[in-house]
Amino acid sequence: MAARAQLIVIRPADAAWANIGAHLRRLSEYGDLLRTLSVHRINVRYRQTVLGVGWAVLQPLLMMTIFAIVFSRLAGMPSEGAPYALFAYAALLPWTFLATAVTSATGSLVSNSDLITKVYFPREILPGTYVVAALFDFAIGLLALGALMAWYEVPVRPAVLYLVPVMMLLAAWALAVSLLMSAAQVRWRDVGVAMPVFMQVWMFVSPVIYPLGVVPDAWRPLYLLNPMAGIVNSFRDVLLRGTPPAAGPLAFALIVTLCALPAAYLFFKSVDATMADIV
Amino acid sequence: MIDVALEQVSKCYRIRRPLEDRLQDFWAVRDLSFEVGRGETLGLIGHNGAGKSTIFKLLSQITTPTTGEIRLAGRVAALIEVGSGFHPELTGRENVYLSGAILGMRRKEIEAKFERIVEFSGVGAFIDNPVKWYSSGMYVRLGFAVAAHLEPDILLVDEVLAVGDAAFQAQCLERLNELRRGGTTMIFISHDLLTIEKLCDRVGLMDRGRLIASGAPHDVISEYQHLTASSQVAAMANATAMAPFAAAKVEMVTFHDVQGKDVLSANTGEPLIARVHYAVQSLVQDAVVELFYYSRDGRVLHCQQSTAVGGGDLTLLPGPGAIEFTMPGLGLQPGTYTIGATIRQRSGADTIDWFYGRTALYVEPGRNVRGYFYTPHNWRLVGEYAQRGDHTHQA
Repeated sequence: MAARAQLIVIRPADAAWANIGAHLRRLSEYGDLLRTLSVHRINVRYRQTVLGVGWAVLQPLLMMTIFAIVFSRLAGMPSEGAPYALFAYAALLPWTFLATAVTSATGSLVSNSDLITKVYFPREILPGTYVVAALFDFAIGLLALGALMAWYEVPVRPAVLYLVPVMMLLAAWALAVSLLMSAAQVRWRDVGVAMPVFMQVWMFVSPVIYPLGVVPDAWRPLYLLNPMAGIVNSFRDVLLRGTPPAAGPLAFALIVTLCALPAAYLFFKSVDATMADIV
Repeated sequence: MIDVALEQVSKCYRIRRPLEDRLQDFWAVRDLSFEVGRGETLGLIGHNGAGKSTIFKLLSQITTPTTGEIRLAGRVAALIEVGSGFHPELTGRENVYLSGAILGMRRKEIEAKFERIVEFSGVGAFIDNPVKWYSSGMYVRLGFAVAAHLEPDILLVDEVLAVGDAAFQAQCLERLNELRRGGTTMIFISHDLLTIEKLCDRVGLMDRGRLIASGAPHDVISEYQHLTASSQVAAMANATAMAPFAAAKVEMVTFHDVQGKDVLSANTGEPLIARVHYAVQSLVQDAVVELFYYSRDGRVLHCQQSTAVGGGDLTLLPGPGAIEFTMPGLGLQPGTYTIGATIRQRSGADTIDWFYGRTALYVEPGRNVRGYFYTPHNWRLVGEYAQRGDHTHQA
């Protein structure tokens, strides 16, 4: 019989920073599960729908159209020189990603309670798969963005490559929020009920329908504590102006995310320990 | 080499009492310590609520202990209620991969075992249809097939053999035996005492969160049955209403071996004597005394013994007495039987006394036969070969 590398020691739950390394090592053994479950989410989401993957494009496009009519035509919202439709879409793309990821991930633990009470696997995989599935939608939405930019004759500049690190930051932020919300939902079901209104408020305090420039300077530091401000603004800088993203707002987003992700993970793991008892 | 070690493990649940609406601590497992050696098969038995399932959840890491420490040397997998993680919209093939991944198999491992899994399940060509079109039997078999092809160092098995038809159950048992022979350490949780006795090297008896006995399967299972006996007899004695004054009364039913010694349990196929003890107030003519063997919950009558089926007339004289029924070979299969007895008059419609539930008979494995009951039987070789004493054919 082959030598066994693994010695698993199970002790009472202990939410210490020192355990994060052990949690991550455990998680790394389940790469296949993360992949299989994520593909499964994408597969299932559009099965038995007529439009299929088309929904990934249609969702932000519809929002864009409504925004263009309501906020640009009727309310005269400024768009920093860009066509408002494109201005809105450049923000709706990252916003829809976050909203899809967080909304679907929040219920992920409660809706998979039958699995949680029967099988062990690192539970962060469940909200994680919804973030990965949302990434897929984001990629489809990116194709529609290319078409829109060609339509409005906005050139694609090399600065577009900045989207890669910005997107990684956005994914990390979405993961942090998903971990926090899904674990909180296990303890307090209120989280799920409050979710739609919470996401709506969040969109209005992010520069999605208006430019970051309209936020008064006095409010800036507080406003920028919301990482979506820096991230959405970076999308616009890169896509519409073709410049590198403004450093200040992005730095805020980076710092907040770097603090939030480990904290959210630790909170998640502390709930995880007795999740099967209360879910 | 110790594969599984529990040290002073306890698990406390906070339970909300519905009427008082306050939280109360419930210790599902209390200061539990035991070890399982490499390649050993340990069975855990006990009543519902004894803590077996909690141990299962702790060992499979579904939940964490409140205090204590558990050490597991090797990869652990649990053979659980099947079909975990199946998604109705996905095909059988997709679900095999999905369920396999959830149970902890790597993709390559599933690919390598895929053909065997499908063959085991008997799902055949339907493997590429969505499982929502499957019959419940197919669904269960495919789910179990995936779980049965896990190859962990330590395997936890929880009541899974209650699925499928007899043939599939036999197939599952064979698979477990195969893993066991392959050196897998196993912990087996079940109410099926026969299977436990067949499969396990050692059995632990749980009661109210503690391990109260551990040892050879036969001994611990007997102890468990006697434990069940005493608690059941006590409960039923309280439940039975006092019978009104009657001409005759059944006092008790006792069981004896061929030496006449009192026994609480008997073995299938072995001789057994049952005695119905009664007290008669006034003479009962043309009496019939009968003994009933019910299923444990009293719903099924398995067997009846009666003075009316043979022999002469019976007259019960005032005073105490007893009727003895002798069985050359007990026909009942292993299990717990609730005993009933009556005294009535052959002509009269009314039963004079009705005794029920104050005695239970525990039948343990003896002469192993399959089927619903055992019949005493002999055998001999017959026909021309037997007479000739040789095995050659003649034209």
